[in-house]
Amino acid sequence: MGKVLRSEFLKLRKSSIWLLIFISPVLATLAGLGQSVEDTPYKWEITLSAMSFLHALLFFPLLTGVFSAFVCRYEHLGGGWKQLLAMPVSRSNVYIAKFLIVISLLAITQVLFAGGLVLVGQLKGFEGALPWKMILTSAIGGWIASLPLVALQLFVSVAWSSFAAPLAINVVFTLPNILVVNSEQFGPYYPWAQPFLAMMPTTEESFGALNVPMETLMIVILGSLVLFFLSGFTYFQRKEI
Amino acid sequence: MSEFIIETNKLTKKFKNRYAVESVNLQIKKGEIYGFLGPNGAGKTTTIRMLLGLAKPTYGSIQIFGKDMKKEKLTVLKKVGSLVEYPSYYGHLTAYENLEAIRILLDAPKSRIDEVLSIVRLSNDAKRPVKGFSLGMKQRLGIAAALLGKPELLILDEPTNGLDPSGILEIRELIKSMPKEHGITILVSSHLLSEMDQMATQVGIITKGKMIFQDSIETLRQRSKSKIAIKVNETEQAWRMLLSKGIQAEMENKQIYLPHSSDEAISTVVEELIHNRFSVFRVQEEKKSLEDIFLELTSGEGSL
Ligand SMILES: Nc1ncnc2c1ncn2[C@@H]1O[C@H](COP(=O)(O)OP(=O)(O)OP(=O)(O)O)[C@@H](O)[C@H]1O
Ligand SMILES: [Mg+2]
Repeated sequence: MGKVLRSEFLKLRKSSIWLLIFISPVLATLAGLGQSVEDTPYKWEITLSAMSFLHALLFFPLLTGVFSAFVCRYEHLGGGWKQLLAMPVSRSNVYIAKFLIVISLLAITQVLFAGGLVLVGQLKGFEGALPWKMILTSAIGGWIASLPLVALQLFVSVAWSSFAAPLAINVVFTLPNILVVNSEQFGPYYPWAQPFLAMMPTTEESFGALNVPMETLMIVILGSLVLFFLSGFTYFQRKEI
Repeated sequence: MSEFIIETNKLTKKFKNRYAVESVNLQIKKGEIYGFLGPNGAGKTTTIRMLLGLAKPTYGSIQIFGKDMKKEKLTVLKKVGSLVEYPSYYGHLTAYENLEAIRILLDAPKSRIDEVLSIVRLSNDAKRPVKGFSLGMKQRLGIAAALLGKPELLILDEPTNGLDPSGILEIRELIKSMPKEHGITILVSSHLLSEMDQMATQVGIITKGKMIFQDSIETLRQRSKSKIAIKVNETEQAWRMLLSKGIQAEMENKQIYLPHSSDEAISTVVEELIHNRFSVFRVQEEKKSLEDIFLELTSGEGSL
């Protein structure tokens, strides 16, 4: 397993994917800076909401697709699946390694996002201690909520040799997020909306699916993660190269 | 353990309801260079994909190093190097980094990278990104990758694809040297028999998914019977005259053909012709090339 991870990392090290990690946290931080919080006691909550809007509603779900497609891209491009899978490595390890790489990239993105939030607080001089619990719940929650999406996107990316097609699909399913999160009925069950639901702080003003308790959300997330991951994993075991 | 490095039993692959490979029994002994021949679409690549565990046989079994591929795939693949169809590479990485990504998976020593680079003569281009390589260089990199793990069995699918004549020669020499120097067994596919003639010790010919010939290249060569062609004036009369003397001859393309015969028999025929006042312009041996035999074998529906 370690071998496969190191080999995967070597392939990514010199690619442009590292730039993508920064884009969303930087934009979110700018949005956080632009948000006015003069006349509210909920400065951190409001800033986090402002930052999550762009990041969690749009960019983060899109990144799951971009990263998943990226880790399969080199194999699809140069006929690398044949070379890779004719090596003494098990297909399970290859699939798991790719999954781990993608979720690590997303974890780094979340760390940068949290860093951005703290930075905004410092720059604007928010009073009191840092609300660590809220920040971590949001960042980690959002990351966990992205896992089923990763599982789904990795499945599609492995199956489809095109780089653009899985991305296009991801965009098509991400855009309705804005509507879906308003729905208490569908929101929690829509994989593309889950990162947003997990990342937004819950306040009295919460709307739509944001009122769904975290426990319910996590059960749905873990359930779909297992389902999607096993489907992709099984597909890859049987795939003819 | 069986004496074969590769042995398949009724290996079959069906796509939808068409057979791409049908009941193929490959038998390859240690140290052989096995030429796996067949025209386009014959099933060579499909067979090789099954040998490497990339595709599952519909029916039949594969034993490599005496081990069942279904059960001990990873153990077998440790000792196999391969290049299937066209070389795989990561374009944004240099040749060296490409091999490093593979070396990590194989647990080979780092020094091995320089060794294989020099074997395929890419040492000077090792630090260049592969996307700038010519097809021939990529092909050589693919062969370097196949050699990286010091394999005991090398499976090369059309390794000379896209190479210029000097590149082809180079790869051929490389392939020829390997069993001698390292005791490697090689399976190499091609759709040109002439190419195999120069390196293979055994050949297997496959067409439309079926194996129609599997034996030593000498056996195949013996099938290239020669004929004697005689060019005379007034071919037809000369031919009739020979027939009337009870000499077996054929007429084709304004020439008389005799089946391969002894020197004395030929001289008798020539004597007869001259005696009967025909002018003998040319007497020559016409040998069918291996390529002709190959075409004959693979084009007709008939098999051996
Ligand atoms: N994935 C697939 N699905 C359906 N048919 C396939 C598939 N792969 C191969 N075939 C068919 O199987 C047959 C054998 O193909 P294969 O690639 O093994 O031929 P080949 O001997 O390698 O030919 P070439 O010299 O052109 O490389 C062909 O008729 C091909 O169309
Ligand atoms: Mg082929």
